[in-house]
Amino acid sequence: MNSLSIGETHAGNVCIVTLSGRIDSSNANDVMAELTRLISSGEKSILVDLSAVLYLTSAAFRALLVATGKAKQQAANFALCSLAGQVRELFEMGGLLELFAIHNSREEALKQLGGPILRAP
Amino acid sequence: MTRPPDLIYAVDEHPPWAILVVSAFQHIGLMAITLIFPIIIAREANLSGTQFLDLVSLSMLGLGVATVCFCIRSRFIGSGYLCGAAYTAIFLGPSLFALRQGGLALVFGMTVVGGVVQVVVAPLLRRLRALLPSEIAGLVIAVVGLSLAGLGVRYGLGINAQQQEINPDYVIVAGISLAIMIVLNIWSKGYGRMFCVLIGMMVGYAGSAVLGIFDLAGIVPEGGLSVVRLPRLEHVGWSFDLVLVPPFAVASLAATLRAMGDVSNAQRINDADWVRPNFASLAGGVSANGVAVMFCGLVGSCGINTYSSSIGLSGATGVTSRSIGYAIGLGFCALAFIPPTAVALAAMPLPVMGAALFFTAAFVFTSGLQMITARMLDARKTLVIGFSFAMAVMADLYHEALMGVPIVLQPIFGNSLVLGTVCAVVLNLIMRIGVRQRASIELAPGRINREAVEQFLSEQGARWAARRDVIRRAIFGVVQVLEVVGDPPGGVEVEASFDEFNLDVRIRYVGAPLNIPERKPTPQEIVASEDGERLLAGYLLRQSADRINARGTGASVEMTLHYDH
Repeated sequence: MNSLSIGETHAGNVCIVTLSGRIDSSNANDVMAELTRLISSGEKSILVDLSAVLYLTSAAFRALLVATGKAKQQAANFALCSLAGQVRELFEMGGLLELFAIHNSREEALKQLGGPILRAP
Repeated sequence: MTRPPDLIYAVDEHPPWAILVVSAFQHIGLMAITLIFPIIIAREANLSGTQFLDLVSLSMLGLGVATVCFCIRSRFIGSGYLCGAAYTAIFLGPSLFALRQGGLALVFGMTVVGGVVQVVVAPLLRRLRALLPSEIAGLVIAVVGLSLAGLGVRYGLGINAQQQEINPDYVIVAGISLAIMIVLNIWSKGYGRMFCVLIGMMVGYAGSAVLGIFDLAGIVPEGGLSVVRLPRLEHVGWSFDLVLVPPFAVASLAATLRAMGDVSNAQRINDADWVRPNFASLAGGVSANGVAVMFCGLVGSCGINTYSSSIGLSGATGVTSRSIGYAIGLGFCALAFIPPTAVALAAMPLPVMGAALFFTAAFVFTSGLQMITARMLDARKTLVIGFSFAMAVMADLYHEALMGVPIVLQPIFGNSLVLGTVCAVVLNLIMRIGVRQRASIELAPGRINREAVEQFLSEQGARWAARRDVIRRAIFGVVQVLEVVGDPPGGVEVEASFDEFNLDVRIRYVGAPLNIPERKPTPQEIVASEDGERLLAGYLLRQSADRINARGTGASVEMTLHYDH
């Protein structure tokens, strides 16, 4: 119930990773592994869409921070978008907003990252 | 505070001068309707033409001073929001009773006492919040909405206790006024929506003049009117009677609850993320109400209150700028010295009043319902709200029968709002017996089930009528602790205890206590190892709970997460 699903699509040169459900210690390593794999495979712009994430814990923040560090090493762009509800509250509460490149919407992020504008599914 | 997207001018914004003036005039028109209550007192007291006009002018001065007091944003007085003032039926019952017992002097003297009660209660509101929760304030607003709608229908149809036949001319004027207000509010934008009530009222005045309903002659004194005149205080005097303290104190309590509801409503209209009232603003609003009531008593008028319709109007038009409140205050103070305007407002045609009251009542009533349902309603709250609402409605339905109670109780049973409020406060007190509740869940080793914890806290939250946002934070806290604790050999016990104002969650297990740092770990620390993740978990727990405590006895650990409610 509400388990994590990871979707992947491309918009121009931007790889969009859509996370849905809950991210905690039971599945944060899957997120970290997938993001690390994409960065290692040579993706130069990765956008993580969090609009469908219901909930996350410290394990999820660590996974995203590890991916951010890896992207920096590989000179790749790594950004998050569409933080809403409790997810945004947790970012704000932990003072974690400034640790990531965060965009309000997928469209805004794609404009910044250089991909074509797509409608969110 | 998050600005709602549909606001045109929010509380701290300054509209252009033209919009400011017209908006203020619109509120003045709406607020002037409530001059009906001092007018009723004046008529019951058989005041002469000049004294009648003095009382109306001084009542307008009271509306001006009260509105400025309500809107001021300061530490001791004022809500800081656009909040109009109104004479109210709440004080009408006690005032008429005082008039019969000791004349106008007793009305004015006891009105001052009513104001003192509110000034005394205002700083205690936070401590009294258990007795005056926001759903009761919502109930008061909903009952006010119903009363306004009832009054609107009566005026719009032209019926009263003596005249039960519907007056077709009144229906035509009220119908046209109301239709214009609705059409402009729903299907127009900009000026049309902003000034829908004012335009509707002006058309109503014109229609009334055509149909002969607008009659100035009946109210103009024999000697005619001067353009500017200082109102005299000939009718003013003060006396006091201990027997009248209880009904005026109850009326003040009802007015306090209405002010709390109105100010909460103004806060909600101006904040898309509103979940609970800001008590500093509520206390400022109530103390302003007390000062305003005292002022009205001193200048020879009757009890005043915040005006739900004015707040409903600001929500309907999307113009909630506090500057408009100051403009309304100045406007009323100036108009108090211009007798022709006092006459024009005092002679407002009943069907025009009816249309404006009925229109704004819709916004007032639904705001009350929203405030009631902002919290989960358990059986206790359901009974408090349901019974009190029913009592308020019954006070109007069976008015004659209920007036058979002893004379001291008549001010309570003779007014739907006062009866509903008293009923809600008393029932709420009774229902607080045994309100602190506890529940726990055991998670066996190897079966640390986070979903079970979520289900446990969600179900308890619903049972206890806890706020959803607080329960969400508690679920996060427990899940985060369990994530770090892992699967301790003796399992985990989660115990939650709750009363109206506190949620405490205790998590007991055998193992190492959690590190709860005050400093946010650096990204490098978080990324370096899973210890960094634990540091982040501890930091997030500290940030998400209002208080957190970890206590170890031998190998046993008890973590306490406290959340203010």
